[in-house]
Amino acid sequence: MDYLVQQKKNLRKTYLLVFLFLFLMATLGLVIDALFGVFPFGTILLIFIALIQILAGVSSGPALVLRSVNARKINEKSFEEKQLKNIVEELTIAAGLEKAPEVYVMEDENINAFATGFKAKKSAVCVTSGLLKHLNREETEGVIAHEISHIKNKDTLLMTTISAILGTMVLVQLFAWRSLRFLLWSNRGRRSSKKKDSGLGYIIVALLILALVATLFSLIGRISIFAVSRTREYLADAKAVELTRNPKGLSGALRKIAKMQKSKGKVKGATIATAHLFISDPLKRSVNNKEGFFANLFGTHPPIHRRIALLENVPEEIVLKELQEG
Amino acid sequence: MVVVGIVVAIVLIVLFWFVGTYNSLVSKKKRVENAWSQIDVQLKRRHDLIPNLVNAVKGYMKYERETLEAVINARAKAISGGSIDDRIKAEGELSGALSRLLAVFERYPELKSNEQVKQLMEELTSTENRITYARQFYNDTVMKYNTSIEMFPTNLVAKTFNFKPFVFFEAAAAEKETPKVDLTF
Repeated sequence: MDYLVQQKKNLRKTYLLVFLFLFLMATLGLVIDALFGVFPFGTILLIFIALIQILAGVSSGPALVLRSVNARKINEKSFEEKQLKNIVEELTIAAGLEKAPEVYVMEDENINAFATGFKAKKSAVCVTSGLLKHLNREETEGVIAHEISHIKNKDTLLMTTISAILGTMVLVQLFAWRSLRFLLWSNRGRRSSKKKDSGLGYIIVALLILALVATLFSLIGRISIFAVSRTREYLADAKAVELTRNPKGLSGALRKIAKMQKSKGKVKGATIATAHLFISDPLKRSVNNKEGFFANLFGTHPPIHRRIALLENVPEEIVLKELQEG
Repeated sequence: MVVVGIVVAIVLIVLFWFVGTYNSLVSKKKRVENAWSQIDVQLKRRHDLIPNLVNAVKGYMKYERETLEAVINARAKAISGGSIDDRIKAEGELSGALSRLLAVFERYPELKSNEQVKQLMEELTSTENRITYARQFYNDTVMKYNTSIEMFPTNLVAKTFNFKPFVFFEAAAAEKETPKVDLTF
């Protein structure tokens, strides 16, 4: 597999999505300003809200994620966990990061792992106890390389920034729908003054347009956050191979994950808000096993057989068949 | 007036480009130097680890005196200093000796069940990986730096301020031996 070509392609897609987000935000700000004739206050307000959300996310995001899955720091007296710490430190060197991320373990039978944090220096890597139990050193190296790549690429930072922007759109949407409902409700049974009516009608139409536009944008935003996540998984796989120079480790780990996928339940504590952080979908939603337009829009992870096929450089049908048989 | 304005603008743009390029070259060079120091850190880690390791295993490996002595001698040579070329060569020999030791270790089940030895062996494996990765990162960084000082138009700035290409850190011959090959002796 030529990972450099893969990386360039994925990077371009990612840039495109980020650009799309920025474009939508700017348009939304302008729509508000045009509707109410308050340029540039609408735009400034939107940016202000977005900044507050980003700051709030930066100050508590990673800790909240780790707490939500009940993660604990590793115990260096345990051989497996010390080995895990060693692997994280090795790949930190390979990626040229200044400081190794903190290492956490969460009690869960599934094989899974995720990385979180905004700055490379203050990030964390968390694996399930099932991963420690079932993966050998080579496979663990592959998984950790994938997670370190997320940190190196600043994926977690990007995901959270997009979430903050998305949050702003949802806020505007809520505001518009609520005030619309309030106006319509309070206006019922008052039909005396015609002059008042035409002014109110104008505001209602304006709010309706705003509500529709914001709803549309937040829907597009929601879809895009998952598409970003999907391409980023391929990207992190490619980068992981660049670090370890060994596609076998990661593909072996993914094969074990695929085999265990049906026998075990969801990862404890994982939600739709954190699912995109994991190396494989902790919620096991069936959309992530599919390809095509719909799956690309709503899936958080690429189909696992496709990731294995890319790593091993074999047709995906063969991998799919092997996984179904084995 | 217009012509003067255009000329001034062009001169300013060129100046800004020059400063920007120079600064980015300096930071790339710094990155290469940092990557080199990382290799040093990991080599030091390896030197510190070896005495503990040898003490822990020598009781078990009576028949592997040669392998152990090779490790001890290579370490002594590596820490004795000398020119960079000498050091790279000595470290290469040390890597070869250690990979043979790791291979021998596979043949002693009672060693593998010893918790202390198991931990030391994990540390050794980890250290060898760290050295490989540090060298890999150094070479990647050097490649980026060397490419940028040769590319037009950055090479104009590089030549003006005498930025020289760095040498790649090639693995020594002894280091390329894989443990699998060594299992046959």
